Amino acid sequence: MKRERFEDLAGTYGADLRRWPEAERAWAERLLAHAPELRSVLDEAAALDALLDASPAPWPSQALRDRVIAAAPRPSRVPALAGVASWAGVLSPAGWSRSGVAFGAGWAAAACAGVVAGMMLTQTLTADVQADAVLYQASLSALDDVDLLG
Amino acid sequence: MPGVTIAIGGPFLKREAERPRDVIVDPDQDLIRRVGRGDPAAVQALVARKLPRLLALAQRMLSDPVEAEDVAQEAMLRAWKQAPRWTPGKARFDTWLHRVALNLCYDRLRRRRERPTDAPPEQVYEGPAPDRGLMALDVGRRVDAALAALPDRQREAVVLCHHQGLGNIEAAAAMEISVEALESLLSRGRRALRTALADIRPGAEGE
Repeated sequence: MKRERFEDLAGTYGADLRRWPEAERAWAERLLAHAPELRSVLDEAAALDALLDASPAPWPSQALRDRVIAAAPRPSRVPALAGVASWAGVLSPAGWSRSGVAFGAGWAAAACAGVVAGMMLTQTLTADVQADAVLYQASLSALDDVDLLG
Repeated sequence: MPGVTIAIGGPFLKREAERPRDVIVDPDQDLIRRVGRGDPAAVQALVARKLPRLLALAQRMLSDPVEAEDVAQEAMLRAWKQAPRWTPGKARFDTWLHRVALNLCYDRLRRRRERPTDAPPEQVYEGPAPDRGLMALDVGRRVDAALAALPDRQREAVVLCHHQGLGNIEAAAAMEISVEALESLLSRGRRALRTALADIRPGAEGE
């Protein structure tokens, strides 16, 4: 009976006892120590294991790797705002509830975002005004040139 | 939520799952947490660890390199989606990932059955060239042809347990069957392979 079970397991999982069900490994090792003739059962299983190992494994191409990595999650891109949120939490009174802290941090983050957006808008408007001035001056020069060239 | 839990399957599997020593220890847990946060080093490490395994699994299940690439890529994309919301302790990430890849393989195998023109050319081994012995490449092709000739579920059991190195509980969970059913498929699959490859002596390659 024990021998039959040993043969079944070798036929199912192969010769490497590490692949066998964990609960039966110690038992199988003890049985093998008392009945060395069971080695031939393992040898037969090992022959098929070796053939299975001969099946070639493909290796991922660089293109496949690049495609997969390109779709991977990206780190968060708002570390500055996260810092502001933490800062707002630290300044919150000790008695505030957790949701209150989160609420305050949210407002602080939104305010910070507003400041950033305002600065960007100002820069854009300033750039527009500067561009207008340059064009105006260029048109003046062009007129002057026309005047001069007659 | 992952699609696979360890509590599924037959009575043996449930008994195993109830034992305290079977609390799932996931070697990928820390890596998945970092991937979920978008850590580029963790992304690289997970690709190095999983992509070759997924590609090998898909290739052996489908015998088609283009389809195998598609399956491996799609499984990894699903891993990216899953990582930020992965709940540790319910199943191993690797088992879940194998389940995803196997489902993608089943879809393609089903499509082939429905449209026979989609099937890849049957792998027929014509034997070694007359002027040389049985080289390692020839043995590999013979083994692949024998694997491809197995019924899908037997092939899956052999590939998961032998080539992918999953334990019996993980392989059964990935296949959504009991451990007893897995053993039956594995035993029949290996017996069929032994018969199909009986003429190859171990170590015959390279002679």
